[in-house]
Parts: sequence; structure tokens; C-alpha cells
Amino acid sequence: MRPNRRKWLSAPGLVLLLGFAVAPLFIMLYYSFQSDSGSGAFTLENYLRFFSKPFYMELTRRTIVNSLVVTVICLVIAFPLAYIMAKKFRRSSMVILAMLMLPFFTNQMVRVYSWLVFLQDGGILERLLNALGLAEGRLGILYTQTAVLIALVQVYFSYMVITLYMALDRLDDSLLEASANLGASKVSTFFKVILPLSWPGMLSGCLLVFVPCLGSFVEPRILGGVNGTVIGTVIEDQFFEIYGWNFGAAIAFVLLVMVMITTTLVSRIGEGAETT
Amino acid sequence: MRERKDNMKRRWIAMALALCMALTLAGCGSSNSGSSGSSGSSGSTGSPSDSSGQDGGKTEPLKLNVVNWKDYGPDSDLGGYDFIRDFEERYNCEIVLQYIASQDDQLTKLKTAKAGEIDVCLPNCTILPDAIEAGLLKELDTSRISEFSSLYERFQSQEECMKDGKYYAVPFVWGSTALAYNTDDFDAAPTSAGILFDPAYSGQISLRDSYDDAIMTAAIYLGQDPNHPSDLEAIKNVLLEQKPLNCTYWKSGDDFSKLFAGKQISVGLMWAGQSASMKMEGEPIGYVVPQEGAIGWVDNWAIASTCQNEDLAYAFISEMLSADFQYKYASSGGPAPTNQQAAEQLDPEYVKAAGMDEESLNRLYFKIARSNEEKTLWNELWTEIKATAN
Repeated sequence: MRPNRRKWLSAPGLVLLLGFAVAPLFIMLYYSFQSDSGSGAFTLENYLRFFSKPFYMELTRRTIVNSLVVTVICLVIAFPLAYIMAKKFRRSSMVILAMLMLPFFTNQMVRVYSWLVFLQDGGILERLLNALGLAEGRLGILYTQTAVLIALVQVYFSYMVITLYMALDRLDDSLLEASANLGASKVSTFFKVILPLSWPGMLSGCLLVFVPCLGSFVEPRILGGVNGTVIGTVIEDQFFEIYGWNFGAAIAFVLLVMVMITTTLVSRIGEGAETT
Repeated sequence: MRERKDNMKRRWIAMALALCMALTLAGCGSSNSGSSGSSGSSGSTGSPSDSSGQDGGKTEPLKLNVVNWKDYGPDSDLGGYDFIRDFEERYNCEIVLQYIASQDDQLTKLKTAKAGEIDVCLPNCTILPDAIEAGLLKELDTSRISEFSSLYERFQSQEECMKDGKYYAVPFVWGSTALAYNTDDFDAAPTSAGILFDPAYSGQISLRDSYDDAIMTAAIYLGQDPNHPSDLEAIKNVLLEQKPLNCTYWKSGDDFSKLFAGKQISVGLMWAGQSASMKMEGEPIGYVVPQEGAIGWVDNWAIASTCQNEDLAYAFISEMLSADFQYKYASSGGPAPTNQQAAEQLDPEYVKAAGMDEESLNRLYFKIARSNEEKTLWNELWTEIKATAN
């Protein structure tokens, strides 16, 4: 009986969750099945419109590819850092963690505009590279996909480092020693011991990066130039430019379904990895 | 011991992760802070806060409820002159401002107002036909507006302000969206809208990321009626061809200022008002309404059907249209005056630089109301153009 008596403590959290996350979600779901004519009848026209236009499909594809690229870059950069934090410089790991969090104390808009100033033609990066003789003349990075990727990697790679660090920190050192004692090379230790054991952490890190990237719209809008359009900016336009709530809600739900499918797939793979 | 340390560590990491997420999400929210300060609250500016009508034998001053943009027109900074206070003293009344966030917001306010809640409002041409049709505005007697005959001729017979030959609104100020160019890069002002579509300026052009502005501009360039384009397919093609010529599309006025000041662009689509203020700040910027024409807008004063002080409302509108007020407003950085006498008092060079001259005016196509279907169609066309990589 004792645990039951404390159940009411969950009430504030549940109210928040139901009232401000679940309920609005259902309101949006309702909108997505409404017609712009305001008749109130159930309609699939918003979803049909989305799937019947090839350019919406193309945008969806582009958004997924971009998010995957960001995820892979984050993984490649974050893994060595997380490994060193967990296994080599244990004492300074908290300092590195603190450094990873520092950028989050700056507002997102400020960060995006800083990238604008940093990357633009005649900007800091260009002058730096020219002075070092690494590049000549105009960089032409700003207002391209590369600029968006750079900004997104910078925002999300901390998530990857932190989740990977947690996974690698849990990995028992004696396993690595055993592997070395039994004559495994560093490479085969990595592939046969470290990688399988940190696999679940890698997967959740990838999810933490991939999912928010799918819905990002600020970075593509400001840094992406004429080809910066992604699903996120289309949803934003629907809500703020033409008050197209119904269609905007429908696209948002398509995105949500994609996220749910990815999450389910990844957690299945994760479970599989943990049981083997 | 080791376990306790581990727990501590884990707690730290969890906190770090939570903080990261919270701060990222907080950042998302602030990205659309553009439409703030527009709550429908009524604030009377300038009048002393103690209400004198409460005790003494004086009569309660009449209230005039004015729907207006924040910091706009009567509510703007006129170089030390407080119009609202002056008007309140002269007419022994109290002006109550109701700020709007958008034209749709204004329409909703008019529809839901009860008798006496709104006296004067400021619709533009995109909502005027709806407002007149729905009977939200009173018919105007232009003879009760003292300087009506000093308005530019085209504003004395502005189509959108009238229905069946009767007036329901009078034009207050106007402006345009046309070509802004860097005077260092051009020996003479460009004269054609074609410059925005000219590969010679590849990479130095910036159109606005707005379906309305983009489609109207392309229609003007192609010689179509921008309010009723005849061939959307041709517009799509020309905008697709134009797309790679842009440095980027700009969204906010601040985006444009940065692009221009950083010499990233030499010509673009810009608002007359911002172009003029950039020039005053010393930027080498020129502004021109090309020979093909450009996009224009007009804000109009009207009397709401819920008005109960018509005399005071007419007095207020008369003041707003007077050469005296219009000159003060335009010369302190406001939009172009509809009162010709006010325009003639302004520095001719400033008038020309801000595209406020009559010749420019006569080349404008004023934005009209669009149906939801049309908005959706245009927006989708623009999305398709933006989505097509080339």
C-alpha cells in the first residue's frame, strides 16, 4: 500500500504532460483532418495534397538526408572525444562537459547570427583562412547547405558526446584489459568489445540528433540561402504566412509519424544489440 | 565509495543533458518574436493618469476609441510633438488606442466590437472590401473632412475605399516595395524591374522570401496585372530562372540591412520606408519605382459602425489628413503622405529618395484583398519554387 499513497505526487507532472503536450497534439491532429472551407467535416485533403505534390516528397527526402548527414558527422566527431573523456582524461571529463554546455547559454538566434557573421564572404573565417594561406578569395560557404550542416552539427553534437560518454563510462575497464591480455589488437578490441557494448548509447545519441534536425527551421532559413527550404520552414510558412493551420498540422503529423517510425526501429535494433 | 561517486557523476550528466535540451528548446521559441507588443490592451498615451472627471463638477471627457498599429501614425514619435495629448486638450476628450497585430486581427476586432467600443479604425486595401461588405464601416461624408480636397487626385477616388460611389474610408499614408540599389555600384539609377532578373548581377540580387511580393514582382516584370496574374506558369518559370541569381532571399528588414551593409548584394526588392531610413543612416542606397511599376499599399482611416461620437471621429480624421500633421509625420521618418500639400513641403530630394513623388505613385499597383484559395495557391507556387533545386 505504501507506494500507492505517494501516487498523487505524480499529478502535477501528469497534468502538465496531458494538458500541454498530449491535448495540444490531439488538437493539431483534429486540425489536420479539417478542410480550409471550414465545413467541420472530416477530410483527408490535407494529407492527399502533401503526398500528391512531388516537390513536397523531394523536400521530405532532402530533409531526411540532411539530418542523416548531420547525425553521422556528429557521431564521427563525438566518439573519439567521448572515449577520451571516459577512458583517458577521467579527471577533466567534468570540465569538458561544462565546456560542451557553454554554447547552450547563448540564445539560438544569437548563435545562428554568429555563424552568419563568421561564415559570410569577407567574414572572420575567410580572412583567417586567407591569412593562413589555406584558401584564396571568396569562400562562398554562407547561403549553402554546408553552412546549415555546420550550424546544426555545432548545436547537436553536444548531445551525442554526452550520451556516448555515459555509455562508454559504464563500460568496465577490466573488459578492455582482458581483451588486451588475450592478445586482441586495439582495432579488434574496438570492433569486438567497445563498439558492441556502446551500441545502445550510440543509437540513442543518433536519435537525439536526428529527430530535432528533422524539424529544424531556423538554421536552414537564415543560413541556407535560396535552396535552404526544408520541411520545417514549410510548416513555419503555413502557420505564419497564410494561417494554413490545417495543412501545416498535416505536414507536422507526417513528420511526427516519420519520427515515431525511426524511434521504434532504432529501439528494436538497440534491444537486439543488448540481448546478443 | 566508488558507487557513490558514480551516482554523482550520472546525476551531473543527466542534468547537463536536460539543460542542453531545455536551452535549445527555449531558443526555438524566441525565433518568432517578431509579432510582439500587440496585445489588444488599450493604453491612453499622454493624458494625465488622474481622471479629472471623477470628483469636481467637470463633465467626463468624451472617449475616442482608435484602432491603430503600435508606434504608428498618431502614436508615433513626431520629434517631441505629442499629437495625442494636443488633440485631447483641444477637443476635451480622451483617446484610447487599441493596438492591432495584423489586418486580420483588425477585421476580427471590428466584427466583435460592441456599440461604442471602436470609433475610428485603420484598414488597408486588403481588408477594406470585406469590412465594407460586412457593414462594419459607416458611410463617410467627405465634406466633413476638412482637407479632403488637398489629397492627391488618385486618393480622392481610391477604388477600394468606395462602394456604389459612396465613401467608406479615406487614404492616410502609402508606401511601395520596389528596387533598392547600391549607388556605388550603379552610375545611374536602374529604370527597369528587369534588373532583378538580369544574369549580369548574378549573386548580387536579393528578392524577398514572400509569396505575395515575389509573384507580384514577377507579374509586373512580365507585364501581367500583379493583382490578377493571367499566367502563373510563366511567373513560376521566370522565378525559377531568377532563383540562382539571388545571394539569398531576405525575410526581415534586418536581414536586408545586413546583406546591404556587408556589400553582399547590390540590388534588391525593398520597402520605401526602410530604404529611406537606411539612406539617412548614411548607407549608399538608392530607391526607385521602375518604369514597369511596383507593389504599393495604402492605410486608410474609417469610422466603425459601432462609433457613437461621429463629430469627434471626423475631427480626428481631419487632423490625420491635414497637411500640418502629414508633413510632421513624413518628415520624422513616416511613410508617404496622401496630402499633396504636405508632400510639396517636404525636401524634394528626400521625396525622390523615398519614392514618395507623384510619378512613382502613379506607377504603383496597390495590393488588394486575396481569397484564402488564392493565398494558398500562390504560397504553394512559391514553396515549389523554393523547393526546386537548380
